[in-house]
Amino acid sequence: MSTSLSVAVLMSSIRSGTSLLYATLGEMVGQRAGIVNLGLEGNMLIGAAVGFAATFLTGSPYLGVAAAALAGMVGNLLFAYIVVERRANQLAAGLTLLFLGFGASALIGRPFIGVIITGLPRFGDFDPLVWLAVPTALLMGWLLFRTRWGLALRAVGEDPAVVFAAGRRPDLLQYEALAVGGLLGGIGGAHLSVAFTLSWDEGMTAGRGFIAIALVIFAKWNPLWAVIGALIFGGAEALQLSLQAGGADVSPFLMNMIPYLLTLIVLVFWGWNRRSAAPAALGRSFFGVE
Amino acid sequence: MMRFWSLLSCYLMLLLTTLPASAAALTVGAIYVGSVNDYGYNQSMHDGLATMKEAVPGVVLLEAENVPETAEAERVMEGMIQQGAKLIFATSFGHQQSAFNLAKKHSDVFFEHAGGWMIAGNFGNFFGATQAAWYPMGVAAGKMTKSNTLGFVVGVPIGYVIGNVNAFALGARSVNSAVQVRVVVTGSWSDKAKEATAAGALIDQGADVVTMHVDSPATVIQAAESRGVYSIGFQSLAAQKLAPKGWITGLGFIWAPFMTRTAKSVIEGTFKPAMVREGLGQGMLTIAPFGSAVPEPVKTLVVAAGDKVGGGYNPFIGPITDNTGAVRIPAGEAWGGDKMGNFDWYVEGVIGKAK
Amino acid sequence: MQRDFVMSLRGFATSAARQGALRAVAVALAALAIFALLLLADGKDPLHAYRDTLVYVFGNAYGFSELLVRMTPLLLTSVAVALPSRLGLINVGGEGQLYMGAWLASAGALAFPNLPAWLLLPLVTVSGFLGGALWALVPGLFRAAKLVNETISTLLLNYIAPLIVSFFIFGPWRSAESSSYPQSPAFVDAARLPSLGGTRIHLGLLYGLVGLALYALLMSRTRWGLEMRAIGGNPEASLRLGIPVAGYLVAAMTVAGGFAGLAGMAEVSAIQGRLVANLSPGYGYMGFLVAWLAGGSAAGILVMAFLFAVVSSVGDILQITQGVPYAVVNLLMGVILFIVLGQRGGGRR
Repeated sequence: MSTSLSVAVLMSSIRSGTSLLYATLGEMVGQRAGIVNLGLEGNMLIGAAVGFAATFLTGSPYLGVAAAALAGMVGNLLFAYIVVERRANQLAAGLTLLFLGFGASALIGRPFIGVIITGLPRFGDFDPLVWLAVPTALLMGWLLFRTRWGLALRAVGEDPAVVFAAGRRPDLLQYEALAVGGLLGGIGGAHLSVAFTLSWDEGMTAGRGFIAIALVIFAKWNPLWAVIGALIFGGAEALQLSLQAGGADVSPFLMNMIPYLLTLIVLVFWGWNRRSAAPAALGRSFFGVE
Repeated sequence: MMRFWSLLSCYLMLLLTTLPASAAALTVGAIYVGSVNDYGYNQSMHDGLATMKEAVPGVVLLEAENVPETAEAERVMEGMIQQGAKLIFATSFGHQQSAFNLAKKHSDVFFEHAGGWMIAGNFGNFFGATQAAWYPMGVAAGKMTKSNTLGFVVGVPIGYVIGNVNAFALGARSVNSAVQVRVVVTGSWSDKAKEATAAGALIDQGADVVTMHVDSPATVIQAAESRGVYSIGFQSLAAQKLAPKGWITGLGFIWAPFMTRTAKSVIEGTFKPAMVREGLGQGMLTIAPFGSAVPEPVKTLVVAAGDKVGGGYNPFIGPITDNTGAVRIPAGEAWGGDKMGNFDWYVEGVIGKAK
Repeated sequence: MQRDFVMSLRGFATSAARQGALRAVAVALAALAIFALLLLADGKDPLHAYRDTLVYVFGNAYGFSELLVRMTPLLLTSVAVALPSRLGLINVGGEGQLYMGAWLASAGALAFPNLPAWLLLPLVTVSGFLGGALWALVPGLFRAAKLVNETISTLLLNYIAPLIVSFFIFGPWRSAESSSYPQSPAFVDAARLPSLGGTRIHLGLLYGLVGLALYALLMSRTRWGLEMRAIGGNPEASLRLGIPVAGYLVAAMTVAGGFAGLAGMAEVSAIQGRLVANLSPGYGYMGFLVAWLAGGSAAGILVMAFLFAVVSSVGDILQITQGVPYAVVNLLMGVILFIVLGQRGGGRR
């Protein structure tokens, strides 16, 4: 592949991977606090629908993205309520959010299908959300690893009892983590509708929410690795479409399998080496013996 | 507890006894694979049905959007039949088998499927004869391109769609022998994110005219417009407003006259199943208005090509070679309307693999 | 008020099955009330909607038969979750196992079109079971070897399975008929699961009911069931007692995957008649919810699967009569779940 084509694929991967990156960062914050949200897809859909609708109604894509972030936060707080407050099974609660998100986004977005909006403008080759993606990852890294709040949050994910003993409230921290997570997930969804495709369609996230969950694992719960992961996962699709355009004969399905196989292999490798980067209490909830 | 159950049963009986009687002249059901506001295929179908509803008094229209091309479609259509539908339009290619199954089950209900080939006593098939109509589109693209690279985004690579790409390529090369058409397949009739990426990939490869056969042209056209390249639309004429600068022309469907005729025939009991394919100049297909960037001589050429096709010109007259060099249609032969679903090869000048 | 209602019902019923069934009814009624409010907010008429449901789903042979058709895959995928859950395993891989079951079953059907039905149908059934079983075997092995948690591995494999199916229907198995639309050739009649009369109710329902019954019997009446429940309660103690924990882990996952694979096999053999791309609208995940809502009890699964089927049917009706998008049924499902989860409290599964 020529250099100019490689650059084009890279740019396409970056654009394609942006919504994934935001969603991954959001899920990561929640998981660092010990909570796995399987309903991230629903969260993103709500963000996409609300973002699109708000952009059309207000005429401003920035307000649209803000509204999407807010809506995502609300969705995740509903999830947080049943998980933190009502101590519900996390996986079931996540699937609940998934269903709620699918249904609510379909209802909200329906009157806006087919309308034309002014999307996010491009500065250079990318829109603002793309430019802010890596800084956001850096911000999350800083928040998680360099602030007291982040330390307490990670401690909740390792052992909530210790945090409680230290005088902080683990449940409040979990709410905060999920609120931030919902915000980012909503932005991830909004990027798809307000910047990438400039449209809304039912179910348009096409599994990105689930991909983001796999990405969190792939990134070893570290925001900086999430950037690489989003590029790889986002790039897989961009790459196969670019290869097609270039005339190469490559199976899109085989290509799309690669990121998941990679993640699985990496996980097996860690398991073999007895290394686990997962937050300890997250492991506990995964094992489900509540 | 007992009070609760008795109240509930009273309530239920009340509901059941207040069913209204049906008084429509004809209940028509329609299923779409996507949303009717898609600026594309589904919208064109919906517009046609809405016009039919106005034109035929006493028609009740039942519609269901986002009906997947699986056996689920059978459930939805059956539900419409239960509601009294006597004429069903199954508008997407993949709805054919489900509709056909129901046609066997309900001999008193009539079905019209769009884009397939099955026929039965109560099952007809209709579509625009799109393949030849893409020829003038290719002429337009071939004349407007400066990079000699055209991009085509394909949704589902069935034979009919490949035929469209081939006619497009033949048309373009008839006015510009240096032109190449690059094809990217997304794998689904509607996947906006993939379409946006695919259009971008084609433009990265140098395409300065982009077109598509997916349910909604909107995403590809918007992607083209944002990168400053030309676009040619398909499915619905409404898409022009999405590309004020880059629009060249497009193909649009006009379903209403056919649908009105069919509805009337069902009411009058004169329904005849047929394989209806109308091309340019016959009613179902029309060439969209030209964009402001198109110069007069090009317009004349395109219109002339359109008239030629409308007059019966078939671009698939041999000898035609495919893009590996093999002769697919020998000299003296031609592929007519009945063979349009058989394309599993691309003509010379198309870069891509058909299977 | 809602809580009181549930409490009084609890006093009323004593057996677990009865409790489960009554709980389902209470939840359904509460959810329908909330859903009615949502419909009103969208400008639709909830009374009309519910009446249509009663008439076209319950008062109607076709509607009722479709309920059973919808239930069938759910019965199978929920056993796929319930069985491992007794050992404390979480199998969210129902989707992937369903697809692989469909894939292997299709391979069988396409490879032996000339066999008579009494040979081909069992072959296709076994292939379906095997496909799902193998797909769950891998995560089972990883978990038994303490390499990867099964929740994660089954989740990841869920993505890969539909890609494998798509690869085959776009490529080596693509049928040349139907204008090269991406799907496999149609199965011969001998490979199709028989249906009941003119309805779409098929033998898969029997598979589901038998599977459910076997699961119930296994857990309550066999030594294996006892040992499995012991593992679920206290894995370390079970290990010390000499119970082959690792063996059970692998076996449970494998058999569970097999059941989900049967769901896939039934979809392609009975309903579709060929291998196509969109086989499952999330049956695997719905099975997880059904099993979880039922608390792992077989009778509960029967009731909950029925409830889910009813809710799906509401979506169909609403779409046709009220113009509400089918996706709204997800909203109803979400509301039901939200109520149930909100009520359970106390951290119980």
